[in-house]
Amino acid sequence: MIISQSTMDVDFVRKVEALSGTSVRRCFQCGKCSAGCPMATFMEHPPNRVVRLLQLGQWQRILAGRSIWYCASCETCSTRCPNKVHLASIMDALRKLSWDAEGPSKESYVQLANKLFLQNIRTYGRQYEMRLAAVFNVKSGQFLKDLMLGPKLISKGKLKMFHSKNKNLPEIEKIFTRIEEMRKKGEAL
Amino acid sequence: MSRIGVFVCHCGENISRTVDVERVAAQVGKMPGVAFATDYKYMCSDPGQTLLKKTIQEQKLSHVVVAACSPRMHEKTFRKAVEAAGLNPYLCEMANIREHCSWVHEDKQEATAKAIEIVGMLVERVKKNRVLPTITVPVTKRSLVIGGGIAGIQAALDIADAGHHVVLVERDPSIGGHMAQLSETFPTLDCSQCIMTPKMVDVANHPNITLYSYSEIEQVDGYIGNFQVTIRRKARSVDEDKCTGCGVCMEKCPVKKIPNKFDCNLGMRPAIYVPFPQAVPNTPVIDRDNCIKFKTGKCGLCQKVCGPGAVDYEQEDRLVVEPVGAIVVATGFDLYTIDEKPKGSMIKGYGEFGHGKIPDVIDGMTFERLASASGPTGGKILRPSDGKEPKQIVFIQCIGSRAREKGISYCSKVCCMYTAKHTMLYHHKVHDGQAYVFFMDARTPGKAYDEFWRRSIEEEEAVYIRGMVSRLYQKGDKIVVMGSDIAVGVQVEIEADMVVLATAIQPRTGADSLAQKLGISYDKYNFYSEAHAKLRPVECATAGIYLVGACQGPKDIPDTVSQASAAAAKVMTLFAKDKLEREPIVARVKEAGCVGCFACKKVCAYGAVEEKEIRDRQGNLIKVVAYVNPGVCGGCGTCQATCPSKSVELDGYTDEQIVAMIEAL
Amino acid sequence: MKSTNSMNSTNAMNPKKAIYNMNETLKYSYYPGCSLHASAGEYDLSTRELFKQLSIGLTEVPDWFCCGATPAHNVDELLSLSLCAKNLEMAEQVEGDLAVACAACFSRLKTTQHVLAESDVKRKQVEKAIDAPLKLDGKVKHLLEILARDLGLERLAASVKKPLSGLKVACYYGCLLTRPPDVTNLDCVEAPTIMEDVLKAVGAETVAWSHRMECCGANFTLSRPGVVIQLTNAILESAKEAGADCVMVACPLCHGNLDIRQKEIEGVYSVNYGLPVFYITQLVGLACGLTADKLGLGALIVNPMPLLKEKQLL
Repeated sequence: MIISQSTMDVDFVRKVEALSGTSVRRCFQCGKCSAGCPMATFMEHPPNRVVRLLQLGQWQRILAGRSIWYCASCETCSTRCPNKVHLASIMDALRKLSWDAEGPSKESYVQLANKLFLQNIRTYGRQYEMRLAAVFNVKSGQFLKDLMLGPKLISKGKLKMFHSKNKNLPEIEKIFTRIEEMRKKGEAL
Repeated sequence: MSRIGVFVCHCGENISRTVDVERVAAQVGKMPGVAFATDYKYMCSDPGQTLLKKTIQEQKLSHVVVAACSPRMHEKTFRKAVEAAGLNPYLCEMANIREHCSWVHEDKQEATAKAIEIVGMLVERVKKNRVLPTITVPVTKRSLVIGGGIAGIQAALDIADAGHHVVLVERDPSIGGHMAQLSETFPTLDCSQCIMTPKMVDVANHPNITLYSYSEIEQVDGYIGNFQVTIRRKARSVDEDKCTGCGVCMEKCPVKKIPNKFDCNLGMRPAIYVPFPQAVPNTPVIDRDNCIKFKTGKCGLCQKVCGPGAVDYEQEDRLVVEPVGAIVVATGFDLYTIDEKPKGSMIKGYGEFGHGKIPDVIDGMTFERLASASGPTGGKILRPSDGKEPKQIVFIQCIGSRAREKGISYCSKVCCMYTAKHTMLYHHKVHDGQAYVFFMDARTPGKAYDEFWRRSIEEEEAVYIRGMVSRLYQKGDKIVVMGSDIAVGVQVEIEADMVVLATAIQPRTGADSLAQKLGISYDKYNFYSEAHAKLRPVECATAGIYLVGACQGPKDIPDTVSQASAAAAKVMTLFAKDKLEREPIVARVKEAGCVGCFACKKVCAYGAVEEKEIRDRQGNLIKVVAYVNPGVCGGCGTCQATCPSKSVELDGYTDEQIVAMIEAL
Repeated sequence: MKSTNSMNSTNAMNPKKAIYNMNETLKYSYYPGCSLHASAGEYDLSTRELFKQLSIGLTEVPDWFCCGATPAHNVDELLSLSLCAKNLEMAEQVEGDLAVACAACFSRLKTTQHVLAESDVKRKQVEKAIDAPLKLDGKVKHLLEILARDLGLERLAASVKKPLSGLKVACYYGCLLTRPPDVTNLDCVEAPTIMEDVLKAVGAETVAWSHRMECCGANFTLSRPGVVIQLTNAILESAKEAGADCVMVACPLCHGNLDIRQKEIEGVYSVNYGLPVFYITQLVGLACGLTADKLGLGALIVNPMPLLKEKQLL
C-alpha cells in the first residue's frame, strides 16, 4: 500500500505528542535508537522506523505490528537520542492508543500480561506473581510454561500462596473509576 | 521655530499590519513644530528617499523624523538622504515603530497608540538636535592578524603583498595551525605539508610581516584605524635572534618522553623542542613544566651545547605594543573530545563510547597524524594500544555535531569529506583492510566533493552504513561497535580493531576571553559573529575587525582561504583612504563647569579623557579641566552619567534631548 | 560569634569529623514494592536487617499499593502517574525521605515527580484522579543512594566487620536506576560508579565488564521468556568473561531474570555460568557481619554457599 496524503493522519501525531510530551518531528532518523535497542531484533519495525512511520501519520501500520509491544521500556533510546526525542514515552503513547483501539496488534501475550497485571492492582492492590503467572498460563493456553520453575520457587518461599487484603482497595478503585469518568467526559486522553 | 517633517513607513506590511500608519501620520501632523507628516509604503526604497528629499526642499523642513525600523537598520540610509537634500544629517532621527512596536504587539488599537507616543518622543527630541560636524581620524596602515593557521597566513600574505605592514601573532611556538598537522587534503589528495610549508616560509621571509610566535594578545585599545595592541611574547627561553636552528639542544636534552601535542600525543619530544621539523620559526622553545633545569635547577645541558649561546633561562615574558589600523581574527578551532565534561557544562561527552578511555578509539586529527608521512609512525596506520595494523576499521561521523543532547546542534561541515578521505588513505595504506563508515547524511556540497565521496565507496570499497552507533565497548582486543542500518532496518555489529570518530569543530578554548578583549560579539558556542550573515560575512559589527576561518564557524580549507583573501581585501579597502570619517557622537566637556575631579577619566573605557590646562593671557594656570579626544571617544556616554557637575555631554544624546523625550510621554 | 570560632577551630583540626555527625540518626519511610513482599522476600529481609545493623530507621508506608510498574505506564500513563502520586502522598505521612529498594518502583516514583512537575495538564488530571492536591517535593531515594551518600562511604566502611576481600563482583545496574538521567539523577548515566563505590567500601573487588547496563528483558519474563533468556544470557556471559565470581543487583526484576532463569539459560546455551546473584543489601550485610539467615541467602536459586565458603566469608 502506498502512502498518500489521505493516509497521513497528522491528528494522530499530535495526539501522540500530547500524550508523550515529546516532539516527534525533531527526529532526523539517525538510527541511534535502533542501534542500541535490546529488543530491536524482535521487532518487525525497528524503533527509528516506528518514529518515521509516525512522522508520516501511518498509525495503522504501527498499531498493526508487534514492535510497540516488544519495547522493554529500558530507556536506552531516550537516553542516547541526539535530539532528546523521548522515544520510550512515544512507545507508551502508542501502546495506549493501540489499547484504546482494542489492540489491533497480533502480539497478544504482552497485552494479556499487561491486562492481568492491571486487573491484579484493581482487585488486590498489589502484585502476586504466582497468581499472575498461573492466570497468564491458563489464559494464554500455555499450561506448561515455566512449570519446572514452580516447585523450586515455592520451596524457596518466593511464591506466596496466601496474602492479606490491602486496606486501600476502595481508594484504588476510586482512582480507576475517576480516570474512566474523566475519559468519558473528554477531560483526559 | 522648527519645521519638522515626519515620514511614517509601512515597511510593506511589517508595520501597517499592526499599526494604523495613516492615523499615526495624521496625529503626529497636529503636534507643535511638525510642519509635515505623511506615510509611505517603503521609505527606504528609492522613491521613498526621493519623497523625503523633495519634501525637505519643498516644505523647507528644519528637522526630520522617520518612523520606521530600528536605527541599526536604516539610520545611515536616511541620514545620507537628508544630507543629500542639504540638511545636516544629525538633524534626522528614527522612531522605531517596527521592532519596538508592530513586531511585538498584536492589538492594532494599542499598537497605534504606542506608535504615536514613540514618534511624539522623537519629535520632541529632534527639536533639540544640533548641527554636528563630521569628525575625521587618521588611519594607521598596518594590520594585526591573530592566528597563524592557514587562515591567518593567507590573510597576512595578501595584506603584506599589497604593501602594508602586518603583525602576525601566533599562540603556539610555530605557525601552521591545524593544516600543518593534516596528511593529505580533500578533494584532490594533495599533501598538506607540501602546499602549506611554502606559505609558512613566505611568512617568515616577507619583509612586510613581523611574526610574533609563542605570543598572545594581552590588551586591545583604540578603534578602527587606530588600535593599540599589547602583545605578550611568552618567554621562549631561547633567543630567536641568536638561534640558528641547528637542533643540537634537542638532541642533547635528557628528557625525551614528553607526548607531543602536535602529534596528538602519539609521538614524543624533548623538553626543549620545535613542535615539528618544518616549524616556522625553526627556533626551539623550552617547556618549563617538564624541563629539569626549571624543575630542579640542575642540568642546563642545552645551554652548554648551544654554539651561538641562544639558550636563556632568565628570559621573561615581554610586552610589546603595536599600533595597527585593522585587526584580522583567525584563531581557528579545537576538536570536541568525548571525555567526561565538567558538571554544569553546556557540552556533554560520550559515556556510551567510554568517555575516551578505550585506547584505540581515536579522533580524526589523530588519524591524520598516523597517516602523515612525517607523523609518529612514518605514515603507517598503527593502533595506539599495541602498534598493530588495524584490519577492520570503523569511522563514525557526527560525533558531537548535530547532537543537541550533547550541547551542539550545528553541523561541523568538514567531517563527511575528511572521513571519505580517511577511508581512501586507509585503503591506500592497508590493502587487505576493510573500512566501515557509520553516517547519518553525506553532506558534500562543493566542487568535486560529491564525486570524491562516491569514489570512496565505489573505488576504495569503503562500506557506508547509514545509521548511528549507540555504543562502543572493548571486548578482548576488539572494539565492539553497536550500530544500525536504517535502510535495511537491522542492527549492525562490527568488531573493529580501531575506531575513528569524526568529532565536532568547536571554537578555540579561550575564544570568549579574546572576544572580550577585542570587543566583538560571539554566539553561545563562542563562534565569533559576523556583521551580517550574507552581506558582511568577514566583518565584525565592531568596525575595523575582520573574521577569517573556523573561528567564525566550521569551514574547510578552500572556504577559509577564500575568506582570508576577502578579509585582506576589506583591510586594503580601509587602508586605501588616508583619513576615516566617523560619527560625531562624542562627548564634549563644558569647561566652565568642570571642576577637574576627573571622575570621567576613571570610568572612560576608551582612554579618551585627557587633562587640559586653562591659562590666562599671562600664562598663569587657572585650572585643569577634562578634555575628550574626539578621535578616541567611543560615544558610550559613561562620562556623562558619571560627571557630578553635569559638565560632560554626549553629542546627539544630551540630557536635554533625553529629558525632552521623557517629558513627551 | 563564639560558636563560629569554635566551629572553625574544629574544622581546622579535623576536617573529616566536621562533615558527619556520627550520632546523627538517619530515618526513612520505606516503599518495598510488590516483589519484595513476594518473590524477592530476601531483598526485603536483608534490607531491614542491614538498616537495623547500621542504625538507620526504616518505617514501612502503611498499606502502600502497587506503583503500576511497567505494565501501567506502558498502556495508561495517567493511571501509572495516579497510582504513584497516591503512594507518594501516603509516604508523606511517614517521617523521612522515601527509601525504595526496587529499581522499577524507584523509576516510576521519580518519573511521576518529574512528569508532574513539568506538565500542568497532567498534574491537574492526576490531582483529579486521586482527589488530593499534589506535593512533589518529597525526596525519593534508592537504597544505593542512602548507603553511598546519606550514610556515606566512610561511615559504611567503618561499619564493616568482615571485609569481602577476594570476592570479585560484577555490579549490574540494569536500565532504570540510571536511565533516563534527568529523571533518576542517580549517577553518570553511561559510566556510573555508585555500586562499585559501595562494594569497594565494604572490601570487595569489582570487575570491569561490558554489559552492566544492558537490559535483561525485565517483565517479558512472564509474556515472552524467550526474549529474557537471550538478553540475560549475554549479560551472564559478559560477567563471566570479565572474571566475576558473582553478580550484584539492586532490582528484584533483574534478580529474577539473572538468578531464577540462570539454570534454564545454561541449558539453552549449553554453558555453565554458576554465578550467584546477590542483592546489594545481602553483600553489604555480609560485610557488616550479618548471618546468612538474616540475609535470606538460602532463598537464592543459584546457591551462593560454596562461593562464600571458598572465599571464607561465611
